[in-house]
Amino acid sequence: MNLEMRNISKSFSTNLVLDGVDFTLEGSEIKALLGENGAGKSTLMNILGGVIDANGGQIFLDGRSVSFSSPKDSLEAGIAFIHQELNLINDLAIYENLFIGREIRRRGRLLDHEAMIRATEEVFQRMDLDLDPRTMVRDLDASYKQIVEISRAMLMNARLVIMDEPTTSLTDPEIERVFAMMRTLSRQGVGIIFISHKLNEVMDICHSYTVLRDGRMVASGLVKDVTSSRLASFMVGHDVVEHTRTASEIGPLVLEGRGLGDGRHFSDISFCVHKGEVVGFTGLLGDGRSELFQAVFGAGRFTSGQLLLEGSEVHVKTTSQAVGLGIGYVPRNRKENGIVKDMTIFENGSLATMSSRRKGLFFMDEDRLEEEFQAQRRALRIKMDGEDDPITSLSGGNQQKVVLARWLSAQPRVLILDNPTQGVDVGAKEEIYEIILSLAQRGVAVVVLSSEAQEVMRVASRCYVMYHGRIMDCLSAGQMSEKEIMRLATGVEEQ
Amino acid sequence: MTDRLESIASARPVAWFTRQWSQRPLFSTLCALVVMIVLQTIALGFDQGSFLGWLSLWTRNWLNILRNNATIGIIALGMTFVIITGGIDLAVGSTLVAVGAVVMIFIDGSTTGLLTSLGITGAPAYVIGILVGIVVGLALGQVTGLLITVGKLPPFIATLGMMNICRSVTQQCMQTVNPSVPRGFTQIANLSVGGQMFMPIIYWLVIAFIMHYISRHTAFGRHVYAIGSNEKAAKLSGINTQAVKRTVYTIMGALVAIASVLQVSRIGSMDYANAGSGYEMDAIAAVIVGGTSMAGGKGTIAGTVLGVLIIAVVNNLLNLLGVPPFLREAFKGVIVIVAVLLQKKEKV
Repeated sequence: MNLEMRNISKSFSTNLVLDGVDFTLEGSEIKALLGENGAGKSTLMNILGGVIDANGGQIFLDGRSVSFSSPKDSLEAGIAFIHQELNLINDLAIYENLFIGREIRRRGRLLDHEAMIRATEEVFQRMDLDLDPRTMVRDLDASYKQIVEISRAMLMNARLVIMDEPTTSLTDPEIERVFAMMRTLSRQGVGIIFISHKLNEVMDICHSYTVLRDGRMVASGLVKDVTSSRLASFMVGHDVVEHTRTASEIGPLVLEGRGLGDGRHFSDISFCVHKGEVVGFTGLLGDGRSELFQAVFGAGRFTSGQLLLEGSEVHVKTTSQAVGLGIGYVPRNRKENGIVKDMTIFENGSLATMSSRRKGLFFMDEDRLEEEFQAQRRALRIKMDGEDDPITSLSGGNQQKVVLARWLSAQPRVLILDNPTQGVDVGAKEEIYEIILSLAQRGVAVVVLSSEAQEVMRVASRCYVMYHGRIMDCLSAGQMSEKEIMRLATGVEEQ
Repeated sequence: MTDRLESIASARPVAWFTRQWSQRPLFSTLCALVVMIVLQTIALGFDQGSFLGWLSLWTRNWLNILRNNATIGIIALGMTFVIITGGIDLAVGSTLVAVGAVVMIFIDGSTTGLLTSLGITGAPAYVIGILVGIVVGLALGQVTGLLITVGKLPPFIATLGMMNICRSVTQQCMQTVNPSVPRGFTQIANLSVGGQMFMPIIYWLVIAFIMHYISRHTAFGRHVYAIGSNEKAAKLSGINTQAVKRTVYTIMGALVAIASVLQVSRIGSMDYANAGSGYEMDAIAAVIVGGTSMAGGKGTIAGTVLGVLIIAVVNNLLNLLGVPPFLREAFKGVIVIVAVLLQKKEKV
């Protein structure tokens, strides 16, 4: 099936997300759709999948103009969208998952299991797949779950499959299996749009590519005519921002990891952070950096390696123990992990220090907590009416500052910040960077985890780039560039 | 002009009322209680010879209500903490029986009694009995807490299991033993001051005050709320969520033990098959009526005290009106449903 999307535009309120994007796919090719986070890939594919409406532009299928007002329309036209979060029910068999909502029934409304199993087997045959339709989905590994999603698309006679970062949570052999399936489908005339961050995978599996940046189509062509580092520079653009940060006074070693692994998300991680230093950790979705530092903070476990704090090995089993050791952690996803929505601004800002600031045996030293909170409120310039107002009355940036205040009051030796500027507007972002830098100047060892290369370059004097649970390299301030970070984060080896 | 002034003047209390109603969760609970008390006072009737006669009748009726609900009142205080963490404890009634049995064995006044045979009688025996009872309550609470935190069982399941275990083991053990409660022990609850028995009410209110203080002014108390509202954020703020939860169930156990001592003392015996049955539901109902959210994170000790009183006053009212006992449970159900419906409306 030939697809042509012409001059597609989309804006959310005043924010232009897609600006006249053209996207084509011919016949049964495998096409990569590339771009950084926020480049507009998901929006474009959601328009094709009928999830959202475009503001302008046209879609042609085999030369005919079409418009989709719901995912059902799109599906009936032969387009299947496989989302990153798979849509399978673990406690049902494969064939039941395939037919969910469209069950084949006998007369008398009872389910016709045999017919459904037979139909599933036929699809599997077409896909060259040796799998028992009666297997429970729970018993499948991640790659087969992906494949079951694809077979559901085949069952509905999809001629074009959109796959949104299908390899994120897969191991290497599992990725190979999914790729083999994609090649089989392509041979049988099914077109595939492959959304990915991983350039080496794109080089391996795709025939052609389209790169989006800031809502525009910036490059398109055949994969055989391009190199992966060229793709990386398309993604970040040529105008790489000059890095202006000067290296700060660096003290003795504070936090060190030696060969750390958790047997799942990351392995063989060695790193070090010095007093007064801001160290960045970056990578793309699924690189394992969040899991790594949650384990450092006691909210996860290491299965191998050693963690050293000021030279002596520590085993952090609970988060309260981590706080006792002087480790602080500002989590990602403020809403889920950061704020306690039923509590006041003051309480949210004192959550980490409540138990250590005591008066007598039992009671909180409320005066001291109050004093400390007020000091942080002034230093961080938190805008609020009353400290006893609910935390939810504040803007995102101010909520994030309250979470920062929570940890600054605890005066940690090591402060880990995971995506510290997520959901924060530009002005507050810059303020948070200043806070991070001044912390380091006061002798705190700071670790900043971020998926934004620019953010890491703004604050960090050194940065580790992770890919698939491993550290690819450690870049010094002079070596850091968006292009280089993107190259390492997408798993491209030095050429 | 005067018209407008009047309408403003009359609108002011209304505005004040609606503001309080929408902003203070406890206010609506308090209003409900006041309405119930007015109805109950009317039902009590004014056909006494003198005002003093009526007042003494009214007071006696009230002391009765408070006394009879002190046991549930104490249990509901612990249940408030449990529900604020997002949990539930179904085992309170059975724990009450188990603790009661242990206490009675220790204080048994007959010559075969455990302490009596050792020559310990009177006040020392009672103190030992009460302390052992509280230790048993703490231990049972700790086991529940461990099942929930280390065993990762949902609180409903863990306490459902504990409920069955405690009652059945107690009944089996108490088949052949029949301890009697000495007269002195009954004074703990029944001590009469000026012709009235205040003790259970005092115990209840003192514990309520302590629990209120814990919930507001200790780190542990605030952590209880933080866990109920967002356990993940609480954990990532360095709170030992497992330890806090375990402590909550342990406190629950201790309070049930105190309630059990009070019950044994007040009644002077214990029916191992039926005592305390349904207490878990009564306590949960009082907590919910008092404005605590089943979803956790929200609620107050003061609200729970009001909740206990509302249910108690309604029961008393129905009693005064001569509503048949079987129907009274239905009214309890209606109150709980209406209370939660009102709470839902506040959110929207």
